[in-house]
Amino acid sequence: MPPEAETHRRIDSRGEACPGPITDLALAYRRAKDGDVLELWATDPGVRSDVRAWAERTGSELLSVEDRDGAIVSVLRVRRRRP
Amino acid sequence: MRRVLILGGGTGGTLLANLLARRPFDVTVLSASDAHLFQPSLLYAALAGASPRLTRPERRLLSRRVRLVRDTAVRVDLRAKRVRTASGSVYESDALVVATGARAAPAQIPGLSETAARFGNYHSDVAAALRLRAALDAFRGGTIAVGQASPICVCPPSPAEGVFLIDRLLRRRGLREKTRLVFFTPYPRPYPAAAIDALVAPRLRALGVEVRTVFDVESVDPATGTIRSLEGDELRCDLPVIVPPFAGAAIEYEPADVLDEDRFLAADKATLRLKGVDDAYAIGDAAALPTSKAGVGAHLQAKVVAAELTGKPAAFDGRTHCPFDLGDGTGVFVTSSYSARAVPCRPRRLNLWMKKLMPRVYWLSLSGLLEPIFDAYFALTAPQAAPAPPAPAPPREPAAR
Repeated sequence: MPPEAETHRRIDSRGEACPGPITDLALAYRRAKDGDVLELWATDPGVRSDVRAWAERTGSELLSVEDRDGAIVSVLRVRRRRP
Repeated sequence: MRRVLILGGGTGGTLLANLLARRPFDVTVLSASDAHLFQPSLLYAALAGASPRLTRPERRLLSRRVRLVRDTAVRVDLRAKRVRTASGSVYESDALVVATGARAAPAQIPGLSETAARFGNYHSDVAAALRLRAALDAFRGGTIAVGQASPICVCPPSPAEGVFLIDRLLRRRGLREKTRLVFFTPYPRPYPAAAIDALVAPRLRALGVEVRTVFDVESVDPATGTIRSLEGDELRCDLPVIVPPFAGAAIEYEPADVLDEDRFLAADKATLRLKGVDDAYAIGDAAALPTSKAGVGAHLQAKVVAAELTGKPAAFDGRTHCPFDLGDGTGVFVTSSYSARAVPCRPRRLNLWMKKLMPRVYWLSLSGLLEPIFDAYFALTAPQAAPAPPAPAPPREPAAR
């Protein structure tokens, strides 16, 4: 049976104050599979340091963090240590 | 008379029914239970030996003009405003308000239901709180792990309150030296909101509590006390005190897309109208809103819907005002709104005293008679709005919660 395709999921946390964006990201992470890409859109500036710390601790790859259309867009690839 | 059917007899549903009862509405509350629980009491029942009256009969909390039906909604046609119940009855109305709350959903995590059955918790019901109290009474030393299993949690201060109160209990019993106390959280810091964490993290350090951040519970083995995280970490303890994940009621809706993945309802964050249907609202923990799930939200949202139904446009501003027991005889209120991020007030004995008073005030507050006092109090304690963040103009894609 072929492995399930990796998905790319966009999470919109714009307008939410801390801890809204990291809550949304953690929820999406619970539902993600190894290799899935999560794209988090947020406007709270605290998201930059949160996403970095969170990616490091979960072992996920932080592919990019950039400003786009007035939002901070973080793209992460989920890595499960235990498949 | 316009018929309003309220699903759920909790904080939001009961207050809304009583506010509408003073007006020309035909109000029915459909509630699965006649025992109305003041949920924050579970914390003190489990961790501080308190034995207040935790529940009151819902009938006595409702105006005599409100019809109370003890039954469980199983299927709701939001467009037709038709509700089918477990007993097979059908109720129709002109306006529908979903106030069915959030319930502990331990089954989402392997082993958590068995863990709750054995050790209890302070988030499900009175029986679970008393099981946790018994487990703490039997504890003579070892490792206690306290934390929240999932980012969806009612009452955001409650996981940290749990560890503070357990630390205090252990010190009083002379067991703190014999106990390794561990606090775990799926967030990158002990308290989710950074400004509040500035109060919480130093206190945990001073108390010698070991903290594990970014620890998302994957499974629990109650036999060995092993908690495993999605991040690949493991924590072994003698007494797991785990805040379970939460989910909305098991009700089937038409249209079905009003529900998110955790069975919470997509409502407009200001008007609380359900997306895509007329004359239907969601309030309290049942609604998927970008604010904390807490009693104060249910209270203020009930007022907004009462105003909306009486033809006065109103808007919920995302206000929270959560009392937080810091375990050292002081407390803070965590306040926030859609436009103001969470900030604490100064830790004071008075704040804790107000939190302890709430179980008494709560029952009367449901009558709606205290609204002038609440209005003044909330205005006085309103958080200062931060500079408005860039507003999200385009419609949201299905969000993660």
